[in-house]
Amino acid sequence: MKRVLIVDDAAFMRASIKLMLERNGFEVVGEAENGLKGIECYKELKPDVVTMDITMPELGGIEALKIIREYDPGAKIIMVSAMGQEPMVMDAVVSGAKSFIVKPFKEELVVQTLNKVLGL
Amino acid sequence: MIAISDKSIHEPMLDIFIFETLKQIEQLEQLVICNEKSSCYTQNSINEIFRIMHTIKGSAAMMLFDNISALSHTIEDLFFFLREEKPKDIDCSGLSDLVLEGIDFIKIEIDKIKNGHESDGNAEELTKRIRNFLSVLKNCENPLAISESEKQTQDMRTQYYISQDKKAAVSGKNGYKAILHFDEGCEMENIRAYSVIHNLRGIVKELQYIPENIMANDECVEVIRRDGFVIFMKTDLSYEEIEEFLQQTVFLKELLLTRLDNAEAQEKFLIDKRIVLEKQETLAPKLLKEEVVVSSGQQQSLISVNVNKLDKLMDLVGEMVIAEAMVVQNPDLGGLELHNFQKAARQLGKITSELQDMVMSIRMLPISATFHKMHRIVRDMCKKLNKEVQLELIGEETEVDKNIIEHISDPLMHLIRNSIDHGIEASEERLGKGKPQSGTITLTAQNAGSDVLITIKDDGKGLNRERILERAKEHGLLSKPESEMHDKEVYSMIFLPGFSTKDNISEFSGRGVGMDVVVKNIEMVGGSVSVESTPGSSTTVTLKIPLTLAIIDGMNIKVGKAMYTIPTISIKESFRANERELIKDPNGNEMIMVRGQCYPILRLHERFKVETDIVNIHEGIIVMVENEEDSICIFADELVGEQQVVVKTLPAYIRNKGKIRGLAGCTLLGNGSISLILEVAGLADKR
Repeated sequence: MKRVLIVDDAAFMRASIKLMLERNGFEVVGEAENGLKGIECYKELKPDVVTMDITMPELGGIEALKIIREYDPGAKIIMVSAMGQEPMVMDAVVSGAKSFIVKPFKEELVVQTLNKVLGL
Repeated sequence: MIAISDKSIHEPMLDIFIFETLKQIEQLEQLVICNEKSSCYTQNSINEIFRIMHTIKGSAAMMLFDNISALSHTIEDLFFFLREEKPKDIDCSGLSDLVLEGIDFIKIEIDKIKNGHESDGNAEELTKRIRNFLSVLKNCENPLAISESEKQTQDMRTQYYISQDKKAAVSGKNGYKAILHFDEGCEMENIRAYSVIHNLRGIVKELQYIPENIMANDECVEVIRRDGFVIFMKTDLSYEEIEEFLQQTVFLKELLLTRLDNAEAQEKFLIDKRIVLEKQETLAPKLLKEEVVVSSGQQQSLISVNVNKLDKLMDLVGEMVIAEAMVVQNPDLGGLELHNFQKAARQLGKITSELQDMVMSIRMLPISATFHKMHRIVRDMCKKLNKEVQLELIGEETEVDKNIIEHISDPLMHLIRNSIDHGIEASEERLGKGKPQSGTITLTAQNAGSDVLITIKDDGKGLNRERILERAKEHGLLSKPESEMHDKEVYSMIFLPGFSTKDNISEFSGRGVGMDVVVKNIEMVGGSVSVESTPGSSTTVTLKIPLTLAIIDGMNIKVGKAMYTIPTISIKESFRANERELIKDPNGNEMIMVRGQCYPILRLHERFKVETDIVNIHEGIIVMVENEEDSICIFADELVGEQQVVVKTLPAYIRNKGKIRGLAGCTLLGNGSISLILEVAGLADKR
């Protein structure tokens, strides 16, 4: 089972993504509510893939992405973005995000993205 | 297609959505009010508000509450602009008004959702006003700033990439044309396209693509959706390698890869069109400079638990307390010598009471959230009535049972409105009286035994004895001659139903439904309300509220076959009386003389119409109970014993008939019978 870390400051979003993933055979090994905690969790849990929100307190998703990618250049990170965040998503892509999903997202699109990124 | 809106995922998420959104809205409200006070928005707050609106937008969109989502999006846009452009001279109060209106809208919608109604509110008008506000801001802005950002998008229009290694650039031997179609609904196709380009950069020598201006988002997203994303590239890689590479693209629906001949390729790669890509890389990060948002510092290592579970836990502990009493006081055990049983029972009792304390403490919340809500009331009232009022909060860390907190929010709001509307004078009037220009309302919470005292004090004009009496007479509310009433009694009349001294009924208070509703609400949770006033300088309303509702120490008494429980805390003493001590007042009411003081007697069997053989005063027992300053003597058959009882509300079919004065609820006793819990304040009240 592929292990996923969810980084999002909104409990609602974390729960939604978790529910969607768990119904599709992913294991959510950790949740973090900001970029800093996300980095910590990544180092500790070594997940196969991370879903990363962009706008978060303490440390935003893009900064966290950069730091995680520096720590582990092979890290597979999928950004969770919203309409209107195009420039940031672009920055994330440049900084090594494997893909992104756009809120509000549908279950199948989330699963598809993860599968593709994981090469499943 | 499985959408998040499907019931299966919708239902479990709804609670979380409501909870989180409400919390954020509350935080937002505080932020707005604090910022407005300090006259303008700090960069941190702007970040924070932006972030909150962004989160709500996302969550609401997932739940398909488009009205909430659209509104939060507009506010998010507004704060995005504030964050990025830092315009000077914002109409701070106008801005706050708009955001607060937005907050109110979301609150109302969430309330509808919570109660299972359709979220059908329409915020279009408000959205339009927010947009106008934003466009006014934009127009005021330095026009240079706008043209600069336009220039940025201009720069991005023609995107070429050539390898940094310019010598190698021309040597790519194979030319390809690829047309990529993305899956429907994957969104941000332009960035997905960009992402492909970004990844291709590592393996191809030169490339060019259509549409060129992938960041000029709206039209180009449409173009990509309609015609696909077209890439021309020159590379040393084989057809298969390129195909395999492109196939990895997420959400790729269709790939059309064709080889180009040399002439075609040359045409596509005119040297003068080349722009080195690095230049553009600096653009995106520029927008992100402040992405490192300073936190609100509120994150705690706590878990959130569904309130229903806590209520259930509380119920279970309550049941356990009853069950314990049923076991320990079981009639079957009567007269038996049970040494070991007693030991075990004591242990059980100890654990039960610890468990109970623990559950109680879990349910305790600081009152601060409720207190802070009042800032908003003060702000709105001041603005509408053109008064200046400061709100001071003292003891906001005081903890009260969650259920009680829910019940005091409305009464507090009403009292504060009253204070500002009727109590505190307009600025000129205050200056004329030698008071500070701005009025002060002090909201205090403090623990007092098993109660919490909440006082609302204003430094306004105080209550007017004459006018209260006048009004009371008009409405026939006087129960005794004016001259016999001391101030406190007069002031208390403002809590009578149908009382209002304000001749001009204002929008906020004084519809005559006010104070008596406050009293009712507070009494519902077993509390009481009192008022004091110094004419010309202050009015103080005090709410006395029990710390918790659920489990109390009670004294069980018996009347005929019925059982009653009196909260131990209100019992002063109990004794057997003598016929000789009885006195009758001119109206025939029984009184009893105790240590030179006269107290009214209340015969429970008469009050509740219970049949009993014990009607002679010397046969039964007198329990003297205290309510504020008044004490009354309750006459019952006998005392049964003291125990902890779990307060249960009366069944709905009784409650629906209206509140029964003198009864706070009921409880189960150890032997399984039902006992009615007496409410002393209600019994003492002769109304």
